[in-house]
Amino acid sequence: MKKILSLILALCLGLAMVGAVAEGDEFVLNVCVASEPETIDPNLANSVDAAMMTNHQFENLMKYAMTDENLTEDTTVFNTEVVLGQAASYEVSEDQTVYTFTLRDDIFWSDGEPVKAQDFVYSWKRLVNPDTASEYGYFLDHIVLNAAEIQAGEADPDTLAIEAVDDKTVKITLESPCAYFLSMCAFPSLMPIRQDVVEGSENWTDPANIVVNGAYKVTEWVHDSYIRMEPNEKYYDYENLGPDAIVWNLSDSETAILSSYQTGAWQFVDSFPTDMIETLRESGDCFINPYVGTYYLYLNCLKIEDWRVRAALTLAIDRDNIVENVTQGGQVPATGLVASGILDSAGNDFAYGNSELGDMYAWLSEAYPEADLETYSGRCELAQELYQAAVDEGAWDPDTTIVYNFNTSDTHKAIAEAVGSDWQTVLGINITLQNQEWATYTNGLGEHSFGVARLGWIADYNDAVTYLELMVTGQSNNYGVFSNPEYDDLIVKAKATLPGAERDEILYEAAELLYSEGGFPVAPLYFYTQPYCKVSTVDNVGFTSLGYFFFQYATEVA
Amino acid sequence: MASYILKRILAAIGTLLIIMAITFFLMNAIPGNPFLSEKASPQAIELAFKKYGLDKPLIVQFRNYVSNYLHGDLGVSLKMQEGTDVAKILFQQGKFDLSIKLGISALVLAVLIGIPLGCIAAYRRGTWLDGLLRVMTTVGVAIPTFVLATLLLAVLAVQLRWLDPKSGSLTDFRSFIMPVISLSSYYICYVAKLTRTSMLDAINQDYIRTARAKGVKTRVLVLKHALRNSLIPVITYLGPVTAGIITGSFVVESTFQIPGLGKYFVQSVLNRDYPVIMATTVVLSALVIVMNLVVDIAYRLVDPRITLTNREG
Repeated sequence: MKKILSLILALCLGLAMVGAVAEGDEFVLNVCVASEPETIDPNLANSVDAAMMTNHQFENLMKYAMTDENLTEDTTVFNTEVVLGQAASYEVSEDQTVYTFTLRDDIFWSDGEPVKAQDFVYSWKRLVNPDTASEYGYFLDHIVLNAAEIQAGEADPDTLAIEAVDDKTVKITLESPCAYFLSMCAFPSLMPIRQDVVEGSENWTDPANIVVNGAYKVTEWVHDSYIRMEPNEKYYDYENLGPDAIVWNLSDSETAILSSYQTGAWQFVDSFPTDMIETLRESGDCFINPYVGTYYLYLNCLKIEDWRVRAALTLAIDRDNIVENVTQGGQVPATGLVASGILDSAGNDFAYGNSELGDMYAWLSEAYPEADLETYSGRCELAQELYQAAVDEGAWDPDTTIVYNFNTSDTHKAIAEAVGSDWQTVLGINITLQNQEWATYTNGLGEHSFGVARLGWIADYNDAVTYLELMVTGQSNNYGVFSNPEYDDLIVKAKATLPGAERDEILYEAAELLYSEGGFPVAPLYFYTQPYCKVSTVDNVGFTSLGYFFFQYATEVA
Repeated sequence: MASYILKRILAAIGTLLIIMAITFFLMNAIPGNPFLSEKASPQAIELAFKKYGLDKPLIVQFRNYVSNYLHGDLGVSLKMQEGTDVAKILFQQGKFDLSIKLGISALVLAVLIGIPLGCIAAYRRGTWLDGLLRVMTTVGVAIPTFVLATLLLAVLAVQLRWLDPKSGSLTDFRSFIMPVISLSSYYICYVAKLTRTSMLDAINQDYIRTARAKGVKTRVLVLKHALRNSLIPVITYLGPVTAGIITGSFVVESTFQIPGLGKYFVQSVLNRDYPVIMATTVVLSALVIVMNLVVDIAYRLVDPRITLTNREG
């Protein structure tokens, strides 16, 4: 028996050593950014992790390229900017509605076929085609001519205003000028794909079938375990690529993820138990990147009809307490719906461009000049004043109980408890917290069957419109059923105005209007951050505050 | 025996159809759908419903399900691996094999350790050894699997670095250690407690006293006469448990990063991935039915007084 056991152990050790030697000479970068993606089909993918994988496998007309700017004290992770990708150049018509891209000459698919303009046309039309049923099918609505009509089933997908003038020229006609169109041209949902590959097999994204035009290509996919990508030899910048392989480990257990990082098996992770952040920061493992996203609460305008009550609820939240003691991930107390990191045309942070205090307080500081909006106690005083006025006028019954819905998560629960406690203490409002699993929760949002409900919004592109249009009348994400025709008009006007000071002014006006008399449809809590752990021996990682990390040029340092 | 098994198989098909119907209408009754998310517009959801035929009346959808199942088509995943055949997810990605590998290892350990421990405790009733085993098994039953799994991970993988935190596809002996201990610990302790109780019952029976009076050795008495009869409650327990344990443990698989089936049993419901819910339910139900049949046959093997036809009547 002892002999058998020894033999088994020796075999295991032997196998382990063989594995180590095989990987020893290569730079294999093990990362973990999420669990199994629902899909890695660019047109269908809808999560940040799937988008990251798409960014490594495909390349759009534009792409994210690393700058030499560090976003934190971590000098091995660099900010990125949108630059030309598969396109060698582009021209814009005088009225800024027609973009003509000329493709590079040295771009090929991983099977050696040249990348053609038709591949972009096919992908964009497939995305908006209702039969594709992509969650991002709306992405080009009211941007590219006819996209909205196609999504609504009122026009043929072939009428989308994108055209392959020849094999190397893509012409796109917009409905009206769009300030962020070039950023959209780097978006994962619009990556080029080949019609013969997509329609050639049932599972075209399987390693055996997939054909890519990006830096890396999936070579192995063990579902729910890992996805291995290796450099694409046909990529025009193949010579300069970094890791010999990027292994995307797939896990949703924060404990397991941290364990794998701590044992050195994985070199980069962006998910781990929140209560470990402080310890990991002290050890020099964890850094916190800015992340363009806002965590906010819908205040249902159908149930909390008086704006003063909504304003009071918004003001009475102790945001510093939430970010310091509850979330603990370096988040920034929110000062408006538009997340910090969204820039105006002059490059200013939109969240603070109109008022040092932020959009949320711009109108209040003018309407109530005596109020001290800089301190929490001052905001609470104003909250009590507004709330009492609504009660005195009979616009609000103080015995009303507000139902606060949140989806199952320890963090959401802790936040709900903190906010509920603030409201009870400052305003004396009765709050009932209701925990629901995700599908039931989102269903309730659509049915507006809540008093207060949480949600987060990560920007798809760097423009304030991505947030502000959420509150347009009838917009599907306007779960709090806010409606203000003046606000709607401003958003329509902003979308049709060329980038510049005039457009900025319109957007700032809209942001201020959202938090003025009759408004306060959402109470923003904090701006997101992206904590991550990375070993110091991995350098040259890219990041965009839209949440994507880029590993294709990562290097190994001693 | 053969006709009995045939009858049970026919009854099983009927049972599965009833289970399918109940599952189908229940999963459609709960709020939500697979396509809900922060960014999904009602229009996008409507298009997805149309794409996957969820816009059809429920009864038509159910009829299609049954018809497709009879043709071996389990449908495609709507969420978890969007567009992928459910049969492929369950049986061709190695998940089922992996969960069975892990589950059977845990079961074997539960039986090989649990039953002898129970026998020893019963045989040494009232001694310090019995006391120690009772405390250990009570603690073992009380400790939640996720606590034990996390503890093993923290000590054996992170602190001591003896084992890899990722067990992965269970390709070597070392990768089995933590998940199998975590998964089997509860069952070892429960089987030991069950065996001890039923063994004590058996030891007090008249035929055991008679055998002892005739001078039968204690070891033979316990192993040959008492154990055999005391196994019936253990077998009754292990039958349905086997079906559950071999279809994977969500917690253990998640903690040790084993790409097994466990996740699909839990997450399919949370994600409202209807075809995956149906398939996992049918697979689990079929296993429970098979295990119940195996248990009935095992009864006959351990106690010849039990006749299968009488039980049926």
